[in-house]
Amino acid sequence: MASTMSLPASNTLARPAGDRSHIGRITVIGLVFALLAAMVLSMTTGASGASAINLVGHWLGFGGDDAAVLKDYAVIVNIRMPRMILGVLIGAGLAVSGLLMQGLFRNPLADPGLVGVSSGAALGAVIIIVLGGTALAPFTTALGIWSLPAAAFGGGLLTTFVLYRVATRGGQTAIATMLLAGIAIGALAGAFSGVLTYIASENQLRDLTFWGMGSLAGATWIKVAAAGPIIFVALAAAGFLAKGLNAMTLGEATASHLGVPVQRFKRITIVAVAAATGASVAVSGGIGFVGIVVPHLLRLVIGPDHRYLLPASALLGATFLLFCDALSRTIVAPAELPIGIVTAAFGGPFFLWILLHRRSAFAW
Amino acid sequence: MIAIDSIDVSVGGRRILHGVFMEAPAGKLTAIIGPNGSGKSTLLKALCRDYAYSGTIFLDGRDIASMSPVEIAGLRAVLPQSSNLPFPFTVREVVAMGLTAGRPGVHPRALQHLPEEALARVDLAGFGARFYGELSGGEQQRVQLARVLCQVWEPVIDGVPRYLFLDEPVSSLDIKHQLMIMDVAKGFARSGGGVIAVLHDLNLTALYADAITALREGKVVASGRPETVLTDAVLEAVFDVPLKVGAAPKPGTPFVLPQSVQLTKSMQVA
Repeated sequence: MASTMSLPASNTLARPAGDRSHIGRITVIGLVFALLAAMVLSMTTGASGASAINLVGHWLGFGGDDAAVLKDYAVIVNIRMPRMILGVLIGAGLAVSGLLMQGLFRNPLADPGLVGVSSGAALGAVIIIVLGGTALAPFTTALGIWSLPAAAFGGGLLTTFVLYRVATRGGQTAIATMLLAGIAIGALAGAFSGVLTYIASENQLRDLTFWGMGSLAGATWIKVAAAGPIIFVALAAAGFLAKGLNAMTLGEATASHLGVPVQRFKRITIVAVAAATGASVAVSGGIGFVGIVVPHLLRLVIGPDHRYLLPASALLGATFLLFCDALSRTIVAPAELPIGIVTAAFGGPFFLWILLHRRSAFAW
Repeated sequence: MIAIDSIDVSVGGRRILHGVFMEAPAGKLTAIIGPNGSGKSTLLKALCRDYAYSGTIFLDGRDIASMSPVEIAGLRAVLPQSSNLPFPFTVREVVAMGLTAGRPGVHPRALQHLPEEALARVDLAGFGARFYGELSGGEQQRVQLARVLCQVWEPVIDGVPRYLFLDEPVSSLDIKHQLMIMDVAKGFARSGGGVIAVLHDLNLTALYADAITALREGKVVASGRPETVLTDAVLEAVFDVPLKVGAAPKPGTPFVLPQSVQLTKSMQVA
């Protein structure tokens, strides 16, 4: 053995070179505070001018006008709070879905919105909106408020599965195949949605339009109850995938040699992506680019170690969406922009920037 | 002991391996040689359970088909021919992936510095903070070997030997690092672990292998100790060229054998 080459290790407390875990830890802690700040911002801004500060002050016994406080209470608890919670869940869900897909496809450009998974989920939702009262009435009666997220989940699951089968050969995914397959699947889902839109009634059309723009404006406690548990379970499941995602970057075969049960790992990942994307799409329509902007930005800061990327993406995704939501409510107040427009305004240019600055050494 | 009992492998409808028998005991470096397309890598992939096979492969008497991924990851590590990474990992992060489910067998406190020790062993001390994607092909291959070593750092744990499967471990290395990496593999075997290596260089095979299995067209042509396999007749049957073992070229023609390093070393000692 080349014993002369081995270093006297472990006698030093210094951090090993190339170990970025401390940056990951600090970033996650910092993002917890950023999210808390964004939650406060989300609770205190809005068209009505209701003051969360007055409300808290009233509770603490600093007085104030009872009638005004009651009105503020209604606005804050019934409108802003479910909207804030939904924003946190959807932002985290979309960012983590993007990250999981990028890990699964071993490609930093994979995103549920770009490769048709969101379109598939949207088709599921449109089917319920249009046919839920007639042909699919038994389904909607049985599942109640969960019929919309369940159908979107089903649509997302089907598209992710088809995409994976089409784009992956022997554990290798060709980027071109994946993006083109995504376009084809998205177009197909869009065509079916178009047919359904064509036969929709006036009322259903209004629902579809409102829903399709991508917005948190219709947030209610019912929507929180419908989508929240699904996204929460998907996020919790994702937490167990970090080491496997790291190993998967070496390729499917090597991940298996390292002890990852690859087939089960892929199934869990696909279901988690479809669940988080489907539930998000069901209650908020098409909010794009969160899943690509957030993980990418974080990779630049903390590197690609999923043990830190996963929690950091969830936190930054939630923060980013609350921030975009606050913008969408204030830019053209008292009206508001659909949040999908705001995330696209950030995400589109950012995506182009990624393409221009990609480092060829990493074979993007 | 790895025992391959009459396995057949078909890939894409084409039969690649025909009734292959092979044994690779712990404590020995077993080389697989053969021409391109003879099924060397296919045999290794079957051993790693990447390809479906008929027949049985035993690891210390147990059928590997019945073992879980985690269980088998604690008993053997695999060096692939090449690995590219889609994300900008540092060298240290790649090496630390060897600890995913492996059983290095070192004290938990030594674990934190195991990637550094592994990097030093493949002559890449100080490379931890470099980006994997920015290294040369030979350096990347050595980083992967360091990762593989981390997975089964101690060749024997509680009397149970562990195994290294190496697919052309020195194919893109310069001569110094070829010798160095083969020394690492040989050292692993000397310490009680088992090594199976697909090798192309017959001189390195002669220098390092304790046993050789020679494949041609998916069948075992010969297996045994180097002096019984590396003969004129076997080499011609395997590689289809009239090679002469031990023959020196015409006087005045330069030739360099890796074996000459040992001569130099022994002269220095003397």
